[in-house]
Amino acid sequence: MRSIRARFEPCTAALLASAGVGLAAVPLGCSDALKAPFATAHADVTPMRGGTLRLAHWSDVRNLDPHGQGDAVGNQAVTLLFDGLVDFDRDSHVIPKLAERWDVEDEGRLYRFVLRQGIVMHDGGELTADDVKRSIERSLHPATPSLTRSYFSGIVGFDAYTSGKAEHLEGVVVEGRYVVSFHLKEPDAAFLSIMAIPSARPVCATAGNRFSRGWLPCGAGPFKLQTGGWQRGASLRVVRHDRYYDPGATYLDAVEWTYLMLPLPQRFRLEDGALDMIIDPVFADYARFIGDPRWKTLVVHLAANTIHGESMNTRMAPFDNVEIRRAVAAAIDRDSYIVNRENMSPANQLLPRTIPGFDPSWACPPRDEAAALEHMRRAGYPFDPASGKGGWPRPIPYVVSARSGDEATAQLLQQQLARIGLRLDLRGVSWPAWQAIAERIDGAPMVPWGNQADYPDASAFFDQFTTAAIDPEASNNVAFYSNPGYDAVVARARHEMDPAARHELYRRANDMLCDEAPWAFTWAQRDVVVHQGYVRGFEAHPIWPFDVRRVWLDRGDQALQHALGGGLR
Amino acid sequence: MLDARARARFVRNRAAVAGAAVVAALLLFALVGPALARHDAYTSDFVNGVSPTGMPVGPGAEFPLGADRIFRDVFARLATGGRISLLIAVASTAIATVIGAAVGIVAGYYEGERAPRLGRLRLDVDGALMRVVDVMLAFPFLLLVMAIGAALEKTTAVTIFVVLGITGWLGIARVLRSKTMQVRALDFVVASRALGQPAARIMLKHVLPNVAGTLVVLATVQVAQMIVADSILSYLGVGIAPPTPTWGAMLFDGQSYIGDAPWLVAAPGLTIVLAVWGFNMLGEGLRDALDPREV
Repeated sequence: MRSIRARFEPCTAALLASAGVGLAAVPLGCSDALKAPFATAHADVTPMRGGTLRLAHWSDVRNLDPHGQGDAVGNQAVTLLFDGLVDFDRDSHVIPKLAERWDVEDEGRLYRFVLRQGIVMHDGGELTADDVKRSIERSLHPATPSLTRSYFSGIVGFDAYTSGKAEHLEGVVVEGRYVVSFHLKEPDAAFLSIMAIPSARPVCATAGNRFSRGWLPCGAGPFKLQTGGWQRGASLRVVRHDRYYDPGATYLDAVEWTYLMLPLPQRFRLEDGALDMIIDPVFADYARFIGDPRWKTLVVHLAANTIHGESMNTRMAPFDNVEIRRAVAAAIDRDSYIVNRENMSPANQLLPRTIPGFDPSWACPPRDEAAALEHMRRAGYPFDPASGKGGWPRPIPYVVSARSGDEATAQLLQQQLARIGLRLDLRGVSWPAWQAIAERIDGAPMVPWGNQADYPDASAFFDQFTTAAIDPEASNNVAFYSNPGYDAVVARARHEMDPAARHELYRRANDMLCDEAPWAFTWAQRDVVVHQGYVRGFEAHPIWPFDVRRVWLDRGDQALQHALGGGLR
Repeated sequence: MLDARARARFVRNRAAVAGAAVVAALLLFALVGPALARHDAYTSDFVNGVSPTGMPVGPGAEFPLGADRIFRDVFARLATGGRISLLIAVASTAIATVIGAAVGIVAGYYEGERAPRLGRLRLDVDGALMRVVDVMLAFPFLLLVMAIGAALEKTTAVTIFVVLGITGWLGIARVLRSKTMQVRALDFVVASRALGQPAARIMLKHVLPNVAGTLVVLATVQVAQMIVADSILSYLGVGIAPPTPTWGAMLFDGQSYIGDAPWLVAAPGLTIVLAVWGFNMLGEGLRDALDPREV
């Protein structure tokens, strides 16, 4: 155990140093001890309504339109603002939401949804089957920058509609004011799950038929955007939708986010009661929370349903050469990525452990530097580690979100690839810019990328490497990998209803990804949430990364004073 | 530049001598530090740099100033960062000094005069230059750096010192203008003008040598300001891209670990403080030594 004095001295130095450069916030971190969390006011009490849940994120929100290019930051709010026809329960089962029931006919080729009657959207209009059809057409329209369009490729008329040859989506049929049916070309094992994702969610009539960046979010979710509540680049506030069809579904009056707040001040504000929850503290703070018995029970580990990798743009040099991609995949030391990052574990295959169909035997070949050098030789760019001669002759631009954890792992990757003759040129940009660049076909040769399960099925991961998932401006397939053989196998798996046969098909697809390496898989992520003691009802959801719909607040007097800005502890 | 009496005044000023010593030590550290370091500034050491808890190791024999968050040698990075930070500070100061001196001397020389003639027009040189200074003073240099960095896709050391240089001359120009106004009223300048010597020659041969002392003092203090400016840019993430170490970026990277690994902030933070203090003391000492009326 370190003595207090031993701790004090370096802290004093840090304090002097930081004071000297005007960083008033830095010295605050010198204390190892956490403040005690605010206790819940009542030990045993039924959930109560009211209060504002205050959250923060180190980045800015990219988009709040469920049909546009989403990201993990925006999706925190999108899942509150928009409801789908169906949803997932905490066991990943599909449950009714805006649709009170559905029927499956024609051997899985027809899904007929019957909507609940009297659902009032945020603009006061009633949700009808026409809204569902208009919304899905808006989402899949070729002008919409959708990342998930390819998920819906099984709908009859999809190709004609998304290529602009048809005015409407033939396979979506309004059968009555509250009845809408989806006709599929083939049975689709994942279709019902896909209807739960944000891009299938109905939006208000104010959204119109076409995507528009100026549109303010309006849907049928339990929360709605407060007027003037979205200050881009600063904050977002959503308030309870009082005419929500299920009044008991949520307890909070409002949820608000402060954006562009770094992890360290987030932790201070959580301790002080100025924030109620934080997501993904840095490792040192995570260790501090988990090591403090007062806070340990307030740490929640979210579902490990995200897979990360180094995505290589197969349309850009040098990664248009499959041997160089193989060299990268063989050169990466995945264990080094996860040192002191508690929420990560090394991974070398596409599916995270939590996704049905995960098979540990599907792991791609492990790190092998000699094999990597051999791939470089076969690529025509032999490299001699001893002399440092050879390799790819030019620096390779690598675009990363500046100041993120990815920027740290990028520097590790840079060291590892330098040993096989690939020199990365790191370019840090903002989080939204990094995503926009990655999704463009000519954006960057290499980016770090993560894929979070949109729904609990292997297809949510395998589909993103299909040719159909490529869009020159807003691509879900950020490697722009195209392989007709792979497309065929994945399409067959999608329509295969026998689990064993489906598993075998996805194994073949996995083998192709390991061999052709559009991504070098690196690690799986399990997000961590830490909340104050008075935050009740927060549970990890298997799909939605940050689901606060069932959260309620039980602030005592002291916590309330802090929430209202009164006094210091 | 320093005559015997000025040198004596400088040596008697203990703060100035201490500042000079600090600056010399920092220059030495930047020059030989990377060679003395046991580890490369750019290479992670997962064998010796990681503590049993997974945190970077603290200061010790292997890592004199500890390891950073991806287990690189803080000492080596601080020294390498020193080369870059000092290079940027000195190079940007050189640019700012040249521009500031040129503008200040020309403006001061023509202050109150309508010259030279441009076709049928006579240009108010002093007024025009000083209005340019006023406009540029109103322009936030951070914004300019970010805009240039975005336009170039990547910010390099050259980008930083060029931008700092072309935005950092304004104060120098104003002071040099005042100083030139004093000098041009001296007899030998008046005599030169009466003899018909060209203005450019008078400015170079008679004015510049007589404002050189002031210029050296301003430049020395400007180096300190440029170190802070470079650190701010790096701290805000608009400086040089990683893995190149800069003191400001090291400060930012370390702040999340300050409770557990305070050396990550203390090392670059103290170095910035020492560097700024050293150059400021040196500059003030030079001013006192060169201008006995101020002592």
